[in-house]
Amino acid sequence: MSPLPAGDPPVYAARNYLNTPATGLRSWLTTLDHKRIGVMFLVATLVAFALGGVFALLIRIELLTPGPTIMDAMTYNRIFTLHGVVMIFLFMIPAIPSGFGNFLLPIMLGARDVAFPRLNLLSFYLYLAGAAIALWGMIHGGADTGWTFYTPYSTTTTTKVVPILLGAFVVGFSSILTGLNFIVTTHTLRAPGITWSKLPLFVWSIYATSVIQILATPVLGMTLLLVAIEHAFGWGIFDPARGGDPVLFQHFFWFYSHPAVYIMILPAMAVMSEVVCAFSRKNIFGYKAVAYSSLGIAFVGFFTWGHHLFTSGQSPYDAGVFGVLTMFVGIFTAIKIFNWVATLYRGSISFKTPFLYFLGFLFFLFFGGMTGVALATVSLDVHWQDTYFVVAHFHFIMVGSTIMAFLAALHYWWPKLTGRLYSERWGLVGAVLIISGFVFTFLPQFLLGNEGMPRRYFAYPARYQALNVASSAGASVLAIGFSVVLVYLLVALRHGPVAGSNPWGSRGYEWETSSPPPLENFEVVPAFERGPHEYHDLPAAAPGAGEGRHA
Amino acid sequence: MTAHAGDAAVPAPPHSHRGRYLAVWIALLLLTGLTWGLSRSHVPGFAGVAIALGIAIVKGTLVALFFMHLWDRPGPSRLVLLSSLVFVALLIGLTLLDVSTRSPLALPPDADTAPEALRRTILEEEAAGRRSPPERLPRATP
Ligand SMILES: [Cu+2]
Repeated sequence: MSPLPAGDPPVYAARNYLNTPATGLRSWLTTLDHKRIGVMFLVATLVAFALGGVFALLIRIELLTPGPTIMDAMTYNRIFTLHGVVMIFLFMIPAIPSGFGNFLLPIMLGARDVAFPRLNLLSFYLYLAGAAIALWGMIHGGADTGWTFYTPYSTTTTTKVVPILLGAFVVGFSSILTGLNFIVTTHTLRAPGITWSKLPLFVWSIYATSVIQILATPVLGMTLLLVAIEHAFGWGIFDPARGGDPVLFQHFFWFYSHPAVYIMILPAMAVMSEVVCAFSRKNIFGYKAVAYSSLGIAFVGFFTWGHHLFTSGQSPYDAGVFGVLTMFVGIFTAIKIFNWVATLYRGSISFKTPFLYFLGFLFFLFFGGMTGVALATVSLDVHWQDTYFVVAHFHFIMVGSTIMAFLAALHYWWPKLTGRLYSERWGLVGAVLIISGFVFTFLPQFLLGNEGMPRRYFAYPARYQALNVASSAGASVLAIGFSVVLVYLLVALRHGPVAGSNPWGSRGYEWETSSPPPLENFEVVPAFERGPHEYHDLPAAAPGAGEGRHA
Repeated sequence: MTAHAGDAAVPAPPHSHRGRYLAVWIALLLLTGLTWGLSRSHVPGFAGVAIALGIAIVKGTLVALFFMHLWDRPGPSRLVLLSSLVFVALLIGLTLLDVSTRSPLALPPDADTAPEALRRTILEEEAAGRRSPPERLPRATP
C-alpha cells in the first residue's frame, strides 16, 4: 500500500481478473466483469483504429501526385468515407470511455463492478454488431458520402450507404448504454468516503461524457434512420421537391455530431487530469474548476452545432448566434489548460512517456482550439469552409488530442492493466515519432487549406504538390511510430518486468489495489480518507523511481 | 431491477396496475384514431397542426407518466425527464430560428406555394404509375 516503491520487489498479483474465474475464450466472451469488457473494448477499438489508419495511408498515397496515383475518384470517395466512419464511430467515440472508462471507473469509485454488468456486456456486443453491419456494407461496395452523410447526396447515391448508416445507428446504442451505466454507477456505487468532491477528475469528465452520450446520441439515431428511410422509400423529409429541407438534416446531424466532439475530447481531458498530477507529483490546481468545467463543456457543447452550417444556407442571424455561442466553449477549455499548466508549476516533473503525450496533447489542444475559435468567426469560415484548413483543425483538436490521451492512458495504466512495465526508452522513441509525425502530417494541411485546396478531392492543381508530399511523408512517420508502440507493448505483455501495484507512486485510488486487479477490484471494501490527487503529504521523489533498472 | 443502496429510500411500488395500463392503452388507441380522423377532416392550416400536436403531447405524457412509471416516482426521475425536454426545445428552437430568419432572397419567389404544387404533381404521377415511389428527381448536374 505504500505510495513509494519500498525495498520489496514488486509483486505480480497471482489471483487477478485475467485468470479468474477462468482463462478460456468462453469465459471472456460471457464475462460480466467490467475490466474484461473494458479490455475487449480496447482490443476491438484498436483493430478499428488500425483499419482506419490503413484507409488514411491509402488517402495520403493517393494525394502524393496531383493526378490519379493508385485509385480512381470513386474509390477515393469510398476510402475517405470509410476512414471517417471507422475512425469516428468505431474508434474515437468508444475508445476511451468504453475501454478505459469501463476498466477504471468502478475501480476509481471503489466499486465491485458497474451498476448494470449485463447491460455492459450487451453494449460491447452492440458495438460488435454495429461494426459487423458497417463492415458488411464496406465489403459490398462502401459508401461515398463522407462520414457526415449529407443529404441530398446520401439519399440518392447508389453506393451501399444504408448498411453503414444502420451500423452507426447500432453502435450508437452501445454508446447510450455505456453512458447510462456510468451515470448510475457514479451515483449509486461510490465506496464509503468517496464524496462528489473526492471523485477522481477522470470520473468527473467521463460522467460529463456520459451525459452527452445519453442526450445527443438518440438524435443521431433518429437522423440516420430518417436518411436510411428516405434513401429506401423516398419519403422526402430532406427533399425540397417534396416539401423537405436538406439543411434540416445538417441541423439534426450536427446537434449530435458537435457534442460528439466532446464525447471524444472530454475523456481525453479525463486522462490528462490524472496524468498531469501523477507526473508532476502535485495536487491538481483548482479541483473544482477542472471538475465543473467538464460539465460546462458538456452543456455549452449543445449550443454550438450551427457553426457547421455557416455556408449551407442557414440564416445569417442564426449563424451569428451560433458563432458567438461556439466561442463560449473556449472559456471552459482555457480554464482546464490554465489549471493543468498551473499544476506543473513547481511540481516535481518526470519526463515519462505518458507525460510526453501530455505535452503533445497540450500543443494539439491549444493549437487546434485556437484555430477553432478562428473558424467560429463567420466571415473567416466562409474562406476556410470545406478546405484542408478545417481538416487540419479537427485532426489537431479531436484526433491529435484524443490519440495523445489514448496513448498516455495506455502507457500510464499499462502496469495496472497487464501487471507489467513497458520499455520506457522505446516508449519515448515512439512518443517522439508519433507527436512529430502528427505535426508533420497536418501542419502542411493548414497551409494547403489557407491557399484554398478543397477537401475530399482526389486530384489537385500541381502547385499544391510540395505540401501534399510533406503531409504524406509525415503520415509515414506516424505509421512507423504506431508500429514501434505496437511492437514494444506486445513484447512487454510477455517479457516486461513485473510492475507491482503502484510503479508510478501515484495517489489515484486505482493504484491502491494490486496489479492486475483481482476480480472484485479490492480485496476488502476500501475506505478513502484522502483525495485522489493529493501529493502534498509526500516527500518529493520522482515517480517510477523503482523501475530505474528497466529504463 | 434489484434495488441498490442509493435507491433504497424509494421502494419500488408493486406492479399490479393492470387496469390502469389497460385504460391508458385504450386512451392511446382512441387518441390515435382521433389524429387519423383529424387528418381526414382537413382542418385548415395552423389549427390542424396545433390540434395534432396537442394530441401527440397528451399521448406522450400518458406514456411517460404510466408506462414509464413517472406517476409513482416523483422527484429526481421527473427532473431528469424534464431537463431532457430542455434539450429537445433547444434542438427545435435554434433550428426554427434558422428557418424563421432566412433571407427571402434565398428562396425562390413562389417558395410558399411551389413545394405543395410539386408534391401534388409527384403524388399524381405516382398514382398514375408514371413514377415509382423510391425514384428520385433527376439530379441537376451529373
Ligand atoms: Cu462543431
